[in-house]
Amino acid sequence: MAHYKILGRDPYWMNFFGLMILTLIEVVAVYLPLAGVAGDYGMTEKQLTLWILTLIAIPKFAMIAAIFMHLFGDEDSKILTLTALFPTFFIIVMVLFIGLTHPDATTGLPAWCRPGTYGL
Amino acid sequence: MERKTAMTRSMVVLVFIAIAMVVSPAVNSLPTGIGGDNIQTQGCNCHNTLPSSNVITSLAGLPEEYNVSTTYTLTISFSGGPAEGGVNSGGFNLWASDGDFSVVDATVQARSPTELTHTEAGNDYRSWTIEWTSPDHGRNVDFILHVNSVNGDGANTGSIDEWNRLDVTVAGSAGAELEPADAFKVLGTLIMISVVLLTVTILYGFYRTNPDNFTWDYLAPWITGWLTSTDHKRIGTLYFVQGLFFLGVGGIMAMMIRVQLAGPDTGFISQDQYNQFFTLHGTTMIFLAAMPLIAGFANWIVPLQIGAPDLALPRINALSFWLQPFAALLIFTGVFSGEGADTGWTGYAPYVVSAGAHDGVTYWVAGQIMLVASSTLTGINFLTTMAVMRAKGMGWMQMPLFTWSILVANVMLFLSIPAFGIGLIQVFLDRTISTAFYDMTAGGDPLLWSHLFWYFGHPEVYVVIVPAFGVISEVLATSARRSIFGYRSMVYAMAGIGLLSFIVYGHHMFTSGMSPTLRFVTMLTTMLVAVPTGIKIFNWLKTMHGGSLVYRTHTLWALGFLVTFTLGGISGMYFPAIAMDLHLHETYFVVAHFHYVLVGGTVFGMFAAIYYWYPKMTGRMLDERLGTLHFLIGFISYNGIFWPMHRLGVVGMPRRTHTYFITTDDFTSIPEWAADWNLFISVSAFIFFFSNLILVANMLISLVRGQKAPADPWGGWSFEWMVSSPPPTPSFDWNNLPELRDANEHIAHEPTRMGAWFNRLMVPDQEEEASN
Amino acid sequence: MSGYGDSEHPVEPWGPHDWSHGAPHNSFSPIIMSMGIALFFFMMAQAWSFGTYTPGYIPGILLGLAIVGFSLFIWWRQDISFDGSYEPRSAGVPFKNIQIRKVAVWVFLMSEMMVFTSLFSTYMRYRLGIENCGDMYERLEASHELVSGATYTCFEPASHLIASSGWHLTPGAINTFALILSSFTIVQALRYAKMPDLDEEVRRRKVYRYLGSTWCLAVLFLTLKMVEWFIGFHIPEIGFLGISEQNIHPLVAEGYTIHADAYTHHDYHDFIMNIRVSASLFYVTTGTHGAHVAGGIIGLSYMTYKAWKGGYTPTNAVSIEYFGLYWHFVDLVWVLVFPFFYLY
Repeated sequence: MAHYKILGRDPYWMNFFGLMILTLIEVVAVYLPLAGVAGDYGMTEKQLTLWILTLIAIPKFAMIAAIFMHLFGDEDSKILTLTALFPTFFIIVMVLFIGLTHPDATTGLPAWCRPGTYGL
Repeated sequence: MERKTAMTRSMVVLVFIAIAMVVSPAVNSLPTGIGGDNIQTQGCNCHNTLPSSNVITSLAGLPEEYNVSTTYTLTISFSGGPAEGGVNSGGFNLWASDGDFSVVDATVQARSPTELTHTEAGNDYRSWTIEWTSPDHGRNVDFILHVNSVNGDGANTGSIDEWNRLDVTVAGSAGAELEPADAFKVLGTLIMISVVLLTVTILYGFYRTNPDNFTWDYLAPWITGWLTSTDHKRIGTLYFVQGLFFLGVGGIMAMMIRVQLAGPDTGFISQDQYNQFFTLHGTTMIFLAAMPLIAGFANWIVPLQIGAPDLALPRINALSFWLQPFAALLIFTGVFSGEGADTGWTGYAPYVVSAGAHDGVTYWVAGQIMLVASSTLTGINFLTTMAVMRAKGMGWMQMPLFTWSILVANVMLFLSIPAFGIGLIQVFLDRTISTAFYDMTAGGDPLLWSHLFWYFGHPEVYVVIVPAFGVISEVLATSARRSIFGYRSMVYAMAGIGLLSFIVYGHHMFTSGMSPTLRFVTMLTTMLVAVPTGIKIFNWLKTMHGGSLVYRTHTLWALGFLVTFTLGGISGMYFPAIAMDLHLHETYFVVAHFHYVLVGGTVFGMFAAIYYWYPKMTGRMLDERLGTLHFLIGFISYNGIFWPMHRLGVVGMPRRTHTYFITTDDFTSIPEWAADWNLFISVSAFIFFFSNLILVANMLISLVRGQKAPADPWGGWSFEWMVSSPPPTPSFDWNNLPELRDANEHIAHEPTRMGAWFNRLMVPDQEEEASN
Repeated sequence: MSGYGDSEHPVEPWGPHDWSHGAPHNSFSPIIMSMGIALFFFMMAQAWSFGTYTPGYIPGILLGLAIVGFSLFIWWRQDISFDGSYEPRSAGVPFKNIQIRKVAVWVFLMSEMMVFTSLFSTYMRYRLGIENCGDMYERLEASHELVSGATYTCFEPASHLIASSGWHLTPGAINTFALILSSFTIVQALRYAKMPDLDEEVRRRKVYRYLGSTWCLAVLFLTLKMVEWFIGFHIPEIGFLGISEQNIHPLVAEGYTIHADAYTHHDYHDFIMNIRVSASLFYVTTGTHGAHVAGGIIGLSYMTYKAWKGGYTPTNAVSIEYFGLYWHFVDLVWVLVFPFFYLY
């Protein structure tokens, strides 16, 4: 169990509260018309929404893992955190090799490299 | 109960089983395609689509029963149909299933020795004379005669012109033509025989445990004990028996494939049947033979080697095992009716989700989903066990190398197999509720399956070879009577192989049109992964060089492994060069390579493990002379099978095709000598298959009459040799676990830089034992 | 080789089990569970074949599930007497002194991470590889290439339907709330089970109620998911809040199904889409997550029953923690699924 306090209160309750607030921000971000803000950063509204969602998902992820799953503040936290992070390499490999390649990858090559354009 | 009564009972049971086998309904035979001309199967349709009964055909001159090798004069004639007009009154086509036709005049021509038709000159007749020479075997001969009756107006179609067909069978003294053997009936029969043999062996094993109590009352608790046990030793034995059984079944399939390939166009297995054979051979050998054999040894030996009473999660261990036999039932669904999986063990999309693939594919996929669950649970169990249940004094760097190899293999397994599981679920859903993961018309991408499959598939092949590495390390160290050379580098090499294996899988997909960047990356990483493997081979050589080798059977198999696995590794190094891969992909060079590393690697490793640990597991010594005989015959015949395949692959013999053609056209076929070498391979295959029965016989005989084994017959020094043969249950007492006082003291208490960093990070301050 | 039990160690493969001797040496559960799973898959493959549904096999599927249920019953019959007196801990580095089963749960979670990574990778690959329907529509409209009556293959994320009007998102938003709350209640159950110096009856009631709440929230999650997918819901008029009456259609009624090869959306005029890949991805990914929730419900059922019987004390409270770890992981996955499938 957690032996520390967050803002002077029970850490689990505060964690729950914090997660709810973050979720609320996520939902609001999807409904607010942010096209203008997106333009300022040189991207479409959809891209900006994706950034916001990703940036909020990360702390939510960390809060659940650290506080609810006792990866912070527990005597066993260090080794369990390392255990939990061990698959990171394999996840990155899978995302890079499978998630970020796609069937028409050969069309992204320069013309001189694409099959059918170099005289063979 | 009296011994006599007991034996009578078992005899009766066996007789019933034998009768049941004989009267069992024949398996559905497949339609045996009739080779040859379409006319025999589809009839004429040049002059109208349907035959007409107005045309009366006759084939005169055939005897009731022919004499062998006699020439008969036959007259083909017909009447009826439209009235004769100008030229072109009629024509015919006469086909015989055997014998030879000869032409007597210019009105008839021969299309082949068994097929005659009219010439242009003979086109305005309504009867023709020919000669037929009967065959020398005396079996029934079928004749099929087609005649057409036309009115000579030169038009090809029209309701006036008519045709008809006549089927005649001429009896010979020997009776009906023998039906060619149906490959699936042969397979089914052989598998049923194997099952019966297995059942008899098990019952005999039961008899030997307690000869005076060979009764039903004692059988029920005995079987229940086996069906419900969670003890790692029992589960190990169960895996082992399953693995050996399916090794045999896979071997039977391989033998039948080799019969088919012994000569060009043998006609034993059609392409459609052949697809199922190589699919099931691959799936059986990898998932139902190799993995269970490894799991069997892992279950038996790992807890003994680390000084643990059992695995971390015993009931889940039992679940891991029991998922496998039921998965096997699903995987083999449809085989005997000809609807078994026909996609290759790699199950490539989009064929695997197409309706054109056999129905058995859906069940094959479901069975493999169960195997995924089994492997995931096994991986979790072993990683946990090795992480937390080592004996006092046994740090990570004091674990025996076999245990390390199982650790690396299991980590690779449970991290990579979920990708395969997800792919399988996608295929299963595509084939059942019709989702669209791989449906190309809906935008599905077949390459996704290849990625998911090989993300798992490549670590998987390392999963089956790394435990063999562990076995060889153990066997060579004990045989050389010294500790393994370079223990630390062996551990790092295995861990390196484990890690790298995840980033090389693209080399299975070089010809698929996948991302070129990925092709480049994968080429480099594949070349890199040979380095740690090479380190291990050099370490083994140095172990022998610095030691004093004793030649037991397990030593022989380990030495054989060194030769064949190195050869397999070298042949594998041709593939990362993409230009070479484009030439060698899907040829027998690939088959040669992976059989060298899988059979010459994994299977030889397992043989070495059997000879090494059998005394520990059963308490009996195996016969060394039979073992040496097994090795000599097996090793030589094995190389006879797979070495010639390299050259066959280089000249272009493709894999997964049911036959090959030898013609004079060099460009489209393979050279003439290929047929000779294929025959040589097939003969070697039979010798190899039967040589392995020597091992089975050895195991069974030794179980009954072998010399009793001491706790440590070979002079090994890991924990498993400190307990009795066979070990007690539980293997170690929970309250009195062993403690390791390391023989290599100077290694035990000297952490490396990485070990020191790890220590600082992980170990609580009040730690007296400085173990890494 | 030791035989099948003896007078000192009676063997109960059907349960119940005496934990003073350690973990069960015999259990019928594994073999029966395997039988049930095999039967389930076999019957499923018989019932559905390339979209053709044969209802006659449903009893077979249910039989397979029942057999699995029976095997779980045997498993739990052996477990329910577990009071924590046998909870082995790690001896060696680096997991020194951590319970073995806790390490096992974390290792299991590692493999589950790979499961969901595979699903997400598939999603990423398709979403980046197939053109988005909205983009395709705009592109074709702008260049006047839109052919009336032609079917276009493109990627239509479910978020286009769900995040379109506030009410569509309600089940998803409540589900997020429910899961996070359930993470909280399971921690509370653990806390009260572990708390020393607590009256036994108070402990029993607290643990039972918190576990029961977790169970209810999980069931609510699945119910709302079914509402969202199949049932739909009705918003009544609440004048003073300015809410007008609306009928929110479920996804399948809007045509967003795995068979949707002629899908239309009111935002795209005269544009017929083949969205089978997008729908398959959505339903299978969120469905896999839902299956994990369902698995959790099954485990929670057993635990709530055991808590009601007063089976959780400080000695064995850590069993709740093992389940809690799994349950937080399920919540974690939802934290990723919700924004990327429902909002984006």
